[in-house]
Amino acid sequence: MKTVFVIEAADNVGTAVLEDLIRQGDTVGTTGRITDVTVTARADIPYGHKIALRPIKKGEQVMKYGLSIGTATEDIQPGDHVHIHNVESNRGRGDLAAAGKK
Amino acid sequence: MTEFFGYPRPDGSVGIRNTLLILAGTVYANKLCAHVASLIQGAIAIEHPLGRTQVKPDLRLTRRFLSGTGANPNVGGVVIVDHFQELGCTAEDIAQDISPTGKLIATVNIRKSGGLISATEKATRYALEIARQLSNQRREAAPLSKLIFGMNCGTSDTTSGLSSNPATGLCSDKIIAEGGRSIMAETTEWMGAEVWLTGKAVSKEVADKIMAGVADMEARALASGEDIRGSQPTGDNILGGLTTIEEKSMGACKKAGNSPIVDYLDIAMPPGSQPGLYVMYGPGHGAESISSIAAAGSQVLVFSTGGGHTISHPIMPTIKVTGHQESWDLMKDTMELNVSGVLRGEISLEQAGQMVFDEVLATCNGRLTKSEILKDDNSFAIHRVGISI
Repeated sequence: MKTVFVIEAADNVGTAVLEDLIRQGDTVGTTGRITDVTVTARADIPYGHKIALRPIKKGEQVMKYGLSIGTATEDIQPGDHVHIHNVESNRGRGDLAAAGKK
Repeated sequence: MTEFFGYPRPDGSVGIRNTLLILAGTVYANKLCAHVASLIQGAIAIEHPLGRTQVKPDLRLTRRFLSGTGANPNVGGVVIVDHFQELGCTAEDIAQDISPTGKLIATVNIRKSGGLISATEKATRYALEIARQLSNQRREAAPLSKLIFGMNCGTSDTTSGLSSNPATGLCSDKIIAEGGRSIMAETTEWMGAEVWLTGKAVSKEVADKIMAGVADMEARALASGEDIRGSQPTGDNILGGLTTIEEKSMGACKKAGNSPIVDYLDIAMPPGSQPGLYVMYGPGHGAESISSIAAAGSQVLVFSTGGGHTISHPIMPTIKVTGHQESWDLMKDTMELNVSGVLRGEISLEQAGQMVFDEVLATCNGRLTKSEILKDDNSFAIHRVGISI
């Protein structure tokens, strides 16, 4: 079984850190601080990218390192690829700030 | 209580090396210093492009970096060379700053010595005498509370925040538990992790200083036309899977471990006597960052890297750790530890932290880093805030 790494028990995403790439439909387990979750990948998960381990509703916090790394911009299902298409920084983005000034 | 074997200094500090430093006060003394160091066993030259025609805040920074480096416990003695008198940063000024440590110091001015050849002879003779005296000194047992442990990361990737950075943080926790001090710099990487960092601060005053440091760094970058939030994460970071600046910064800040932050330091300033974690103002630039930590008195630094690295400070052994198997395979000529087993589930983070701690202790006891053996002391750099004039 392919695995993703989870750094803190409070996290709702895991990170693909092994060279064995995760493809849509793969069964994915976890190592690290959570070891008992299994999800089915709903998309290809490139190396270094994140997969949802639990449902994350729009507006809820995406948790990694036991802390929020941003807010879900749409409902996220377990097994979804979690990245810039469905997460927004709470700290703000400089490129958008610059565009707003123009 | 854990002990290490180091060189006791007159001021009560303990070095893990007994380096004879040949320190260039100005850019124009660089080659003389390198030449003298090449003639003397155990001598290391520090060269840099600064020390002349700098705006006052920069001249003060240059002096702080040079004096702090000379005062570092790893330096047993120092020969300082300048070529002309730059008021506010002369060889004598630097010597005066270092003198409270009680170590052996000599100064040489190229002009007063009668030119390059005479100055080279004079510096070589001073170095010879100091080297003889240093060769009499022996390592003695010292408690780990004498250690100032430096932490830095660079060429980070997705493995850094999940393996090598938290392992470094766990090592820091162990050193602090023994009464030691740790320093983490790189203010640019606190941005997005401020709430977490300030939550670790021991007081509101320290938390406020952290927030002010981040705001200052962000404003300085903006004044140069660089919105750090726009470039962080970078396009490469996003391709690599980093989604937000919070994620990137939290990965970097995992180096902080679980210890409270006892104080905030300005760049290259020594920590107080209280054990614990100190955060230091400074840029993400690796060489400037580790040089500021060395100038603050840190004897050893762990550099956590995803992509692998060659970074190595001339007088502060720089231990490189990666959690990326491929980077280890490619870059192990200059790296000490591979903790990628964490990500494969082969070892726990706690075991990786113990590996880092064991390597730090062995290095303190005299084990050479690969970069030291290869004489690849590539990373001395002084931070600056203004222009050359």
